[in-house]
Amino acid sequence: MGQTSLVNDDPPVVRVREFVKRYRKLKAADGVSLDIRCGEIYGLIGPDGAGKSSLMKAIAGVLSFEGGSIEVFGQTIDSEAAAEKVKGRLGFMPQGLGLNLYPELSVEENIDFFAELREVTPVLLAERKRKLLAMTRLDRFLDRPMKLLSGGMKQKLGLVCTLIHEPDLIILDEPTTGVDPVSRRDFWTILTQLLRERDVTALVSTAYMDEAERFQRLSLMFGGLVVAKGAPEVILHDVPGTLVELTIAAQVDALVRLEKRFTQVEAVGSKIKVFVPDVTPQAASAQIQELLTGIKIEQIQVEKPRLEDAFIALLHRHHLSGKEEDSPAEMVWRDGVPPRGDGIAIVARELICDFDHFRAVDRVSFEVRQGEIFGLLGANGAGKTTVIKMLTGIRPPTGGAGTVAGADMRRASQSVKERIGYMSQAFSLYQDMTVQENLRLFARIYGVPGRQISERIDRVIQLAGLGPVCTQLAGKLPMGIRQRLALACALVHGPLVLFLDEPTSGVDPIGRRRFWKILVHLARVEHVAILLTTHYMSEAEHCDRLALMHAGKVIADDTPAALKTALEQEAGQVLDLAAEPVLSALEALEQAGFTDAALFGRRIHLLVKDVDEATARIRAWLSERDIRLLDITPRAPSLEDVFVYRILQQERQEATL
Amino acid sequence: MNSDWYILRTRLGSWFSRLMAMTAKELIQFGRDTLLLFAIVYLFVFDTYMAGNITMQLNKAVVVVHDADHSAASRELIYRFRQPYFKLGGEVLDNHAGQRLLDQGRALVVLDIPPDFAHDIKKGTSVDVQVQVDASNAVLGFLASSYTAQIIGQYGFDQALTSLGIDERALENVPMVRNEYRVWYNPNQKDTWFMPISELLVVITIMGIMLPAAAAVREKERGTIEQLLVSPLTPIQILLSKVIAMTVVILLGTAMSLFFVLHGVFAVPMKGSLILFFAVTTIYSFTTAGLGLYIATLSRNLAQAALLAILVLMPMIFLSGAWTPPEAMPMGLRQAMYISPLFYFIEMGYAILLKGAGLDILWDSLLGLALLGGLIFGFGVWRFRRQFK
Repeated sequence: MGQTSLVNDDPPVVRVREFVKRYRKLKAADGVSLDIRCGEIYGLIGPDGAGKSSLMKAIAGVLSFEGGSIEVFGQTIDSEAAAEKVKGRLGFMPQGLGLNLYPELSVEENIDFFAELREVTPVLLAERKRKLLAMTRLDRFLDRPMKLLSGGMKQKLGLVCTLIHEPDLIILDEPTTGVDPVSRRDFWTILTQLLRERDVTALVSTAYMDEAERFQRLSLMFGGLVVAKGAPEVILHDVPGTLVELTIAAQVDALVRLEKRFTQVEAVGSKIKVFVPDVTPQAASAQIQELLTGIKIEQIQVEKPRLEDAFIALLHRHHLSGKEEDSPAEMVWRDGVPPRGDGIAIVARELICDFDHFRAVDRVSFEVRQGEIFGLLGANGAGKTTVIKMLTGIRPPTGGAGTVAGADMRRASQSVKERIGYMSQAFSLYQDMTVQENLRLFARIYGVPGRQISERIDRVIQLAGLGPVCTQLAGKLPMGIRQRLALACALVHGPLVLFLDEPTSGVDPIGRRRFWKILVHLARVEHVAILLTTHYMSEAEHCDRLALMHAGKVIADDTPAALKTALEQEAGQVLDLAAEPVLSALEALEQAGFTDAALFGRRIHLLVKDVDEATARIRAWLSERDIRLLDITPRAPSLEDVFVYRILQQERQEATL
Repeated sequence: MNSDWYILRTRLGSWFSRLMAMTAKELIQFGRDTLLLFAIVYLFVFDTYMAGNITMQLNKAVVVVHDADHSAASRELIYRFRQPYFKLGGEVLDNHAGQRLLDQGRALVVLDIPPDFAHDIKKGTSVDVQVQVDASNAVLGFLASSYTAQIIGQYGFDQALTSLGIDERALENVPMVRNEYRVWYNPNQKDTWFMPISELLVVITIMGIMLPAAAAVREKERGTIEQLLVSPLTPIQILLSKVIAMTVVILLGTAMSLFFVLHGVFAVPMKGSLILFFAVTTIYSFTTAGLGLYIATLSRNLAQAALLAILVLMPMIFLSGAWTPPEAMPMGLRQAMYISPLFYFIEMGYAILLKGAGLDILWDSLLGLALLGGLIFGFGVWRFRRQFK
């Protein structure tokens, strides 16, 4: 492969052996071993609490650990003095948007501060600053205080400050979490460019599974363990199987049957995805058709499994998945007949919210019907949470109106409030109370009659699979279970409308799937209207309808499929190509007029109207320039492609105004 | 008519049931907070106990002597500086040494007896002794100098009587004004009664502000307040549940302190009606809760709330008479005391526990507290509600 030239046989830059880190009784990392070679981008992928941050901090020499050894540039990190010796060659960016920066200082002052800290000479500083600022397109904002930058810009400034002393090893802890897709794309391009220019090595962690293909090699981490490591292809190769995608009208019935047989079944919007392990695509397809005899299959399609499927299969294989609960699809939990799902549950009409200096939400309108899962997709700071707060009546809108079940929540009567459930961002239940105490509290607050309380609690406990942890303190629960408890609390009174603010942020893939299973059940069987926010592109596929939010505005609003179709009609199909050397290829393509060509890991994505014509043109153009084209294929656009396109379109429109 | 009544009753019932659910939640959370539990026990039990052991009297103040006479007469005077008020700290050879001990804070009083002290007394001429007092602590200095003056005066009087040949019994025929006084309510003038009561009332004030403030700020800090606001709860129910729960905690703490420490250890008589005392404490606790809730609306986290609470507490205690009696205040501040709720509480607290006073005497103080408390609580509630509008 083209990459081998970059990876040499020199001793590894970082060598970790049997790394153990404990926080009191909790084991954050339990025997982690890995080697990072010079010049590669090494990925740590896993949910919150997997041990990624502990490992990165230990490598950066800012966290002591209990067992194992870490070598950085051949120096064993066993004391503060030892860590000091290599710190000059390291750049470390901690987790959190711009947490290492100073909010009151301007962009330039921040950079100068870090340069002085690292004793960069003025001449070198001026040179590097010019280059990095141009690359990150921050040069227009030199005098702007950091606190007034958008999330994506903060993260880019953080990167500049980390790179200002030209470190040989850069350690970036979740640099792209909650960042908008365009900034995310910029971020990866900058990183790749820098790595090619100098012999820099990067260790990058992420909670997004779909970022995996951007890494040369990676470790999949879960609960302090490395579940798998190596190149993405190698990991996929180790977990043979087929992903079968089905379109079925009788989704609920099909799900019930499939779940009896397979562990990895997922309802994604109108589709069902099943991972069938160990068999060829033909055999997998046949197995499923046999299982679903009698149910009409509208469409069946086989695909290569994604890294997320492999990860989940590995977790099951290592028995890290926890106990599987009863399928909620077979339970009914609200009293009486579910209402028909045709009424409009939530309406946002021209909602505006102004903070001191800027407009957080700008004329946002949408409708959510009963029985529909509606997603607000956007980066941190896009205004998603503010929209939910205005709809639920926590924050008064500056302009416009929002109604829930026909009532303005700020003046809604108790009977209206009793019909909605709300789960706020972060974990906001009472951590010093047990699961049962939390549920009882919310049941009583929402006016569940005394006789029915125990019965209701039992039902949501069963629905959310909380049985084994009933008497535990909420604060002691792992992330995934906490989210389900929060959901259970929002559900205990049987609401008809559900607001969920980033319900799955930081939750592991298995936890996320369980969570979605419950949501799908609520919407399909109980006809609950669900409005949720997320910054996971892949998760947004689950929603029936989506509103893409960027900088306070809704820039597109439709079903995921329609969003993709619209993209294909407007801008064409996505061409996915691999070329060597990849950066020259990117440059050449931009010169050829493919302005939206973007680096995606080691591959390039671009949008073309006519696939055949463009393929031919690219082949000719690249071969003229001695760039080797390894492969080129058209690909169905992802929601990320849609989002990036819409953001850029919006920016172009605003620029011309 | 009947059905209207029924609807009203169910509405009231569900309103009350929600309030009780929230109050129960506050109490559960309080019970799980070991640090807070420790603070309650520490302040209500150990702190009031310690306060009972502190005295405002001179306690073994060091007296250093420069005795240039070394006679029986000088020794007699020196040995009149006795415990518990004084303690002899030895002798110095010259005035400078005495001065230095005062400077270093190793002596409070330096007594300078001139040469020929005994000789002059015997001769019948008047004699001066010099007393130097360290008055850097004004109260101690004042006590030391007045006690010293009393001791030396008594000594001079005794010496004068002896030299005139008048004995004790003959004194009755000498024309003299004698004072006979009665000390009411605390006949032995025990600090162990006065101090712990005063401390208990201060502790109630601190906790009465801090507990509701902390409970309200914690909801904000953790983001749980939003979860509650979306629910059918009204802001009144949210804050009332905190005030009720924290008042229960404070009453329990007060009972603990009153029965185990004040009555149990220091034998404070508790003459008045305990029901009245707890009723007054409840009204007072609602007043301080109003302040606490107001503080909670101003602060974003617990640290800010604690800092603000100190800003409120200091003048409140200073203007209450807990540390300095009203009689020692300048007139301006004495008027200002009427705005410190603790002033009324302290007045009533002493009156009920030591004097056995009832409503017939205390009605005006109670009215003052109730009015002030109602005002403050109403203000706190108004601010607390307004922050969500």
